Amino acid sequence: MKKTSFFQKAGTRSVLASVISILFGLAAGSLLVFIVGIFNPRMTPKNIWEGIQLIFGGLFSTGRSETGLLTFGFNPTNIGNMLFRATPLVLTGLSVAVAFKTGLFNIGAPGQYLAGTAATLFIALGIPSSEMIIPGIAPTGIPPMVVWVLAFLGGMLAGALWGAIPGLLKSLLNINEVLACIMTNWIAANLVTWAFDVSNLKNIMEGTKTGYIYKTTVNGVATPKLGLDKLFPGSQVNGGIIIAAILAVIVYIILTRTTFGYQLKACGSNRFAARYAGIKDKRNIVLSMAIAGALAGAAGSLYYLSGNTEFFWSTYQQLPAAGFNGIPVALLASNHPIGVVFTGMFMSMLDICGLQLTNLTTYNEYITDVIIAVIVYLSAFSLLIKTWLSGRKKKKDTVPEAAPVAQTGEETLSGDSAPEGSPADIPETPTTEEAIPDAAVQDEPAQDPVQEALIEEEAKTE
Amino acid sequence: MTTLFENLTSGSMVFLIRQTLIYAVPLMIVALAGIYAERSGIINLALEGIMIFGAFIGVLFVRLVQQWGWFEAVYQAKNWVALQGFVLLTMLVAAILGAVFSMLLGFAAINLKADQTIGGTALNLMAPALVLFLVRIIANQNTLQMFSGDSASWFMLKKSTFGIGRTQDVGFFFDTFVNKVYPATYVCIIIFVVMSIILYKTRFGLRLRSCGENPQAADSLGINVFAMRYAGVGISGALAGVGGFVYALTTTNCTANGDVAGFGFLALAVMIFGNWKPLSVAGAALLFGMFKCIAASYGSLYLINGAGQQIYFLKELNINTNFYRLLPYLITLIVLAFTSKNSRAPKAEGIPYDKGSR
Amino acid sequence: MNDVPQYVIEMLHITKEFPGIKANDDITLQLKKGEIHALLGENGAGKSTLMSVLFGLYQPEEGIIKKDGQEVKINNPNDATALHIGMVHQHFKLIDVFTVLDNIILGAEDVAPLGFLKRKEARRKVLELSQRYGLKVDIDAKVEDITVGMQQRVEILKMLYRENEVLIFDEPTAVLTPQEIDELMQIMRGLAAEGKSILFITHKLNEIMAVSDRVTVLRKGRYVGTVNTADTTKAELSSMMVGRPVQLVVEKEPATPGKDVLKVENLCVPSKLYKRDAVHNVSFTARAGEILCIAGIDGNGQTDLVYAITGLEHPTSGKITLMDKEISRASVKQRSNAGMSHIPEDRHKHGLILDFSLEQNMVLQRFQEKQFQNSGFIRFGKVRAYAEDLIEQFDVRSGQGAETIARSMSGGNQQKAIVARELDRDKPLVVAVQPTRGLDVGAIEYIHGQLVSQRDAGKAVLLVSLELDEVMNLSDRILVMYEGEIVGEFDPKNITVEELGLYMAGAKRQEVAEQ
Repeated sequence: MKKTSFFQKAGTRSVLASVISILFGLAAGSLLVFIVGIFNPRMTPKNIWEGIQLIFGGLFSTGRSETGLLTFGFNPTNIGNMLFRATPLVLTGLSVAVAFKTGLFNIGAPGQYLAGTAATLFIALGIPSSEMIIPGIAPTGIPPMVVWVLAFLGGMLAGALWGAIPGLLKSLLNINEVLACIMTNWIAANLVTWAFDVSNLKNIMEGTKTGYIYKTTVNGVATPKLGLDKLFPGSQVNGGIIIAAILAVIVYIILTRTTFGYQLKACGSNRFAARYAGIKDKRNIVLSMAIAGALAGAAGSLYYLSGNTEFFWSTYQQLPAAGFNGIPVALLASNHPIGVVFTGMFMSMLDICGLQLTNLTTYNEYITDVIIAVIVYLSAFSLLIKTWLSGRKKKKDTVPEAAPVAQTGEETLSGDSAPEGSPADIPETPTTEEAIPDAAVQDEPAQDPVQEALIEEEAKTE
Repeated sequence: MTTLFENLTSGSMVFLIRQTLIYAVPLMIVALAGIYAERSGIINLALEGIMIFGAFIGVLFVRLVQQWGWFEAVYQAKNWVALQGFVLLTMLVAAILGAVFSMLLGFAAINLKADQTIGGTALNLMAPALVLFLVRIIANQNTLQMFSGDSASWFMLKKSTFGIGRTQDVGFFFDTFVNKVYPATYVCIIIFVVMSIILYKTRFGLRLRSCGENPQAADSLGINVFAMRYAGVGISGALAGVGGFVYALTTTNCTANGDVAGFGFLALAVMIFGNWKPLSVAGAALLFGMFKCIAASYGSLYLINGAGQQIYFLKELNINTNFYRLLPYLITLIVLAFTSKNSRAPKAEGIPYDKGSR
Repeated sequence: MNDVPQYVIEMLHITKEFPGIKANDDITLQLKKGEIHALLGENGAGKSTLMSVLFGLYQPEEGIIKKDGQEVKINNPNDATALHIGMVHQHFKLIDVFTVLDNIILGAEDVAPLGFLKRKEARRKVLELSQRYGLKVDIDAKVEDITVGMQQRVEILKMLYRENEVLIFDEPTAVLTPQEIDELMQIMRGLAAEGKSILFITHKLNEIMAVSDRVTVLRKGRYVGTVNTADTTKAELSSMMVGRPVQLVVEKEPATPGKDVLKVENLCVPSKLYKRDAVHNVSFTARAGEILCIAGIDGNGQTDLVYAITGLEHPTSGKITLMDKEISRASVKQRSNAGMSHIPEDRHKHGLILDFSLEQNMVLQRFQEKQFQNSGFIRFGKVRAYAEDLIEQFDVRSGQGAETIARSMSGGNQQKAIVARELDRDKPLVVAVQPTRGLDVGAIEYIHGQLVSQRDAGKAVLLVSLELDEVMNLSDRILVMYEGEIVGEFDPKNITVEELGLYMAGAKRQEVAEQ
């Protein structure tokens, strides 16, 4: 057996494909900055160059020097903030990735995120702890940490329930999960607005701010810093990122080591074969969506449990970007749970770059979203990039399984869209050299894959 | 009965019909955009994004033209025919750029055989990001507005447009379908009818539909599947672009802020509910338009009782605003739940066509 | 008339290579005007490739094509159509939701200005053609609503509408009843008499003898020879096709049926497409130590019957008993545990998870057994050992052994992997649905041998097959299914293929005696 070369390893190719997507995304962002700069009379070439510098190196930006030049260097605040902002992205990324593994496109992460946020805030602010300081609500003997745990678990549970809805609609009524997720997103946005609208959690203590919910710190509830604030002074970082990383490892173990993960992946790869083998595909779809929902719920939960974040409650017109950005995070990681931790951090780094851009130049943070969109666009055909990297003509093989989504939707998708393996796939097959064996040696069952591929093609009768 | 009808007409009926049309027409034309793409075999999840882009392009074009002063004289002269020409021109620009934008999806889905759902999602992320990025740079705020005046004063037909006094009674028909309407709405209806006829009665339509059902068969008959799918996606982009601009014109006072409130996704639901057939889609769009209309303005809908008082019947129910806001989405889900068993998507949609695999 | 060339189509020394294989190696085929020329070869012999070259779907590396003596280049189906070459593909190229008329005109539409279709004129022309050639079709019906036989007539009308002179029929009889086959033969003769030249691709010798004038035989991508039908015999053709005398009869001892393993009583299964039942009131018993075969034309309810027995679909009424245990409403898993293994009809849809490795596929039903898992965690070592054992035992060949991704394996080895998995589960009932579909002779013989040895080991084998030869050779008892019902039960020794065909076509039926 020949050793597969470095570039042919699936893992290597995935990583390289992601790196290429990222570079293209950053290049597209730079191009946009360049074009806008050219056409905008108020901008000088210096502005353009600064914009491009910040797109690539915004994380290490330390502001401007006295002479007005951009300065760069190690900036612990930025890195701490990156870790803080990565927490929800890693979790929504995991959410999308888990669903992808089961062949579902969870575009419902924003709704699940909101459900988790709402449940968490209601619990974190609704159960008075010993440190409650909202006027008119008496502190109780409950330690804040207990409230924190309840709020976090409540957020996950709410996310799970909200995620289970599209799962149920899909498995029982065969409603496309993408549409169901989009609708449940908007329903969640309105319900959450409604719930907070009639609640007494609106921040009225600080008169200057309208439309926000109390910080959870008014009840003494906040995610422990675990010393990270010492490491990255001046930033918002807390233990949430560690919880997210632990959840990623748990998801990884479930998917790769357990029979449950085996079932989920079986349903995702081929729902019909799973059913044939006695695996309960419908149950697994609902479970997978519930887990995805729980992870997205945890994302919202941890973000608002940090204590220093405020929730803008009138959210009916806008869905949280953290939910949607789970999609590129997952795609960029090829749905690998551990990979998601890194791509989540990358995405939050882009966020930081965007903020630096807004703060330091005439450009603004939306360039980040453009870059992310370009990356998603490229990941739509990341398989093509991988194929190109492997340098072999595998087109025919890889295309029909472009992504797990393609295999779930309609019945027609899974039937005849999977052609036979092409010979390029299995160079080690012992008999390739005698491509057309003489009739005389035909006592053995056919071994020649090409020959049989042709047979298949001729005999396909579905 | 007579009195009820009179009550309705003299009450909010005129308003309700007018307003429903305003919501229904963009839905209708964007749902048709979906039909064109899906009937050619490409799932166009990007309708929302293309609408956002089309709205931005349209508003930007109006703003620039105003800035250049092209139609200033016409506006001063109250030449409403010429102003409607301006709207038509803007719709054309939105259509062309919508089609160009949709080519991003076409290229990924057709040439690169990418996953169409992800490709569409990418466009949905791209459009608001790009639009907001540019709007911020152009306008220094998050909303792009007209350069001068507002949508109603420039582009809406009113009694005064025809020299009729504000208080003069013009009859139910005129009041509903001419007064306070945007002719762009009717242009969209005409486009809808024409494009539906093309889909069913012409060679192009027949071939396009064949590519969404069985591209292998179409190919074996010498039909260029790639070209047909590009045509489907391009027309889809053009229609969605127009829909986006008309939405901005009629419901958001000709402004663009990178958002069309989920209309593109609603249009997808309308398309599925209408079973990929234009006539059913038109009906579904009207239904959804009505719910959208109620959600937006339930507080100002009223009946007139025998004593001549205005009864704000929905407002008096005292249900939270958010209920009406989530109603269209909830109803979409319920409707999908009941219809998805019978709905029949084009067979080959979502599957990249590979010449090699016969 | 001297300058009229003898041949309408000549394909001279055609070589078509795919990576690693010559699908066509120096093949020559000459078609005379007005003849019916059969192209014979077994699965994978290169017939379809050759026809795809002629139809412009593939470009040959070597060789030339002549039409009426002139060399031509056929780069795509449009070129073929322009040369008046038409093809009825094995899988009809029809749009299900279009009407018959729209299907016929698609791609060759006559249009008024602005591209509007001239459907009225087209309708007249189609009706005229349909009368002239005796091709009865329901012109306004949707294709999905008409019978397979009529769909084939639509395909033929498509060619005639385009005024094609050379008509290619690719395995046209695979989906037809014997009666429809007769009708098709009649039509083909009529077409030839009108001056059309016909290329008829098949691997069925009877049909060749019945209708063709000359036969060209291919084997393993190579040209074997061309003979006049009148001067040859079925035996000669079959050895030309396979390259050795073919053992058409499976060697096996007479069956010694034992106790009832599977009992089906008054089973009804609803149809997904139509209002009526797909399976209606079916009763039978499969016994240990016999191969019970369900014969019938494709689409007569066999698939639904199997789904109901294996638990993939729920019956509306009736009772299924396996090893004295009622399983009518049981889940797939419960049935499997009660004693059923299942070699599915579609190995890509049901049989394998193509993106999983071979070892993962080998434990598809068994991953939850104690030996393969420990409190929910997979015991990878045990799975590997088990898979390698099966691979060895059943001679499944693959690139990287147990780690090979199933998708990259050849069809024959995929099927062997499924057979290995199912037979190793050692269940008293083996349900095998078209287990040899699309395989070449060697693999077919292997799988037949495995099924017979299962029978000899005392298993009940329920075989569903569309191939009459397989039915006659392998079975100990035959049930014929027609439109969802069992219309006859036979001992293969007491019935001829022709008579079986009448039952399969619904022309005859016997009252099945109550068990």
